Amino acid sequence: MSLDIILLAMLDGLSYGAQVFLVAVGLSLIFGVLRIVNVAHGSFYAIGAYVAASLGIWIATAGWSPWLSYPAMLVAAILVGVIVGGLLEATLLRRIYGKEQVLQLLVTFAVFMILEDVQKVTWGVKPYFVNTPLSLLGTVNVLGINYSVYQLAVIPLVALCVLLGLRFILRYTRIGRIVTAVTEDREASMAMGVDSSRVYLFTFMAGAGLGQIEGAAVAALMIGLGRSIAVYLAPEFDVLMPYLIMFVVLLFKPQGLFSTLQTRKV
Amino acid sequence: MLKIERLSAQIEGIEVLRHADLEMPQGSTIALIGRNGAGKTSLLRSIMGFMKITAGQVTLDGNSLAQVPPHRRPYLGIGYAPEDRRLYGAFTLEQNLRFPAEVMRLPETEITRRLERVYGVLPELKDMRERPAAGLSGGQGKMVALGRALMAGNRIILLDEPFQGLAPVLAIRYGTALRALRDADRDITLLITESNPSLLRAFADRIYVIERGEVSPLDSLPASSLDDAGLGKH
Repeated sequence: MSLDIILLAMLDGLSYGAQVFLVAVGLSLIFGVLRIVNVAHGSFYAIGAYVAASLGIWIATAGWSPWLSYPAMLVAAILVGVIVGGLLEATLLRRIYGKEQVLQLLVTFAVFMILEDVQKVTWGVKPYFVNTPLSLLGTVNVLGINYSVYQLAVIPLVALCVLLGLRFILRYTRIGRIVTAVTEDREASMAMGVDSSRVYLFTFMAGAGLGQIEGAAVAALMIGLGRSIAVYLAPEFDVLMPYLIMFVVLLFKPQGLFSTLQTRKV
Repeated sequence: MLKIERLSAQIEGIEVLRHADLEMPQGSTIALIGRNGAGKTSLLRSIMGFMKITAGQVTLDGNSLAQVPPHRRPYLGIGYAPEDRRLYGAFTLEQNLRFPAEVMRLPETEITRRLERVYGVLPELKDMRERPAAGLSGGQGKMVALGRALMAGNRIILLDEPFQGLAPVLAIRYGTALRALRDADRDITLLITESNPSLLRAFADRIYVIERGEVSPLDSLPASSLDDAGLGKH
């Protein structure tokens, strides 16, 4: 096993981990505040990617500057969050808060299946290739390995900004403190004037992170590195790796990676 | 004045309050005594709007609260300290105190004024203001929960079993703080629940007993039924 392979695995792991983090942090926030495991969360990611791709193609065919594809990705994220997330929360999820978990799983799983078909109807089943954001920034040489700047710098940088931004919002702003408070104790917060249904809508549209942000970040990095090391060293474990990591974490830190939560004393 | 009239409420189809009547004139201190499971918490939660009401109503100054959603009730000047403290572990002590005032967007001068009032009644909190709430002891947490209820409630304070689990010294301290609060603000109305009647007997203007969801004034009950409920006068 050469050093190159290890380095390549590290770079892959960083890039993949940053992507996983961006998805996980949304899932984590929604679970933290709404106490719902949103099975359809992956669909948000997929629809966001499709919208970004469509916007990218549209920008290219209109002959505009390819640099516009970066803000287009941000626009896609906001559109999907506000429209898909907002609609879903206001029409469906609002009815199942605090209900049995089986019902919540079934409902969000149904949404996942519906959204999957919506994607097929809207974008077809053929893959879209939009590599403008990737190719525009070129590659960088890291100790003899050529790696795309977009994957190595932009995605991790965005992930880092999201991490720091969310931490700042949650700690130092009024809305952040309200979100934190609802996460800790919904009823006590309502008794202090918090309109929790508005917080829920906001959370779902933001779809991005809280409380366990550090946990989401470290877990994503573990998964990213674990998987990319597996890809190079033991490809047959590639698919298994995330579950293996999950298993180990659940075995040793079942309360969460950074959780200080203690079992309730009676 | 806060008034509970013929109030019935259910949890999962089981009636936990049955035609409860209770009056809280302005400036009074009311004790609600009952065993665990008698319905004390349910009564307070109905005042805050968290219960499914099946009959009767809660009124404030003659207006029914039925149409007031839970999160608007603190704006009426009602402060609530639930059982178990329920502080926010992620916040410092003072952030916990400030939280209801910030949610209600009170002006900073008013927040400071209310904070000073809390520190006036509970001076020991001032020295610990920067401490994370997660690190407070049970007794300290009770004091903070009282302080937080005072930040929201400038008219009515609901305290759910505040003395439960307090060491005797802290229970006396807590009682002193409540007296200081009443002396500082003669118009404030207190509703305190407790399972041990001796703690509040000397303190309350009026004592109600709750059993199996039924509320009765203490002096209306025959001695034998009080003994049955473990509330005998001795």
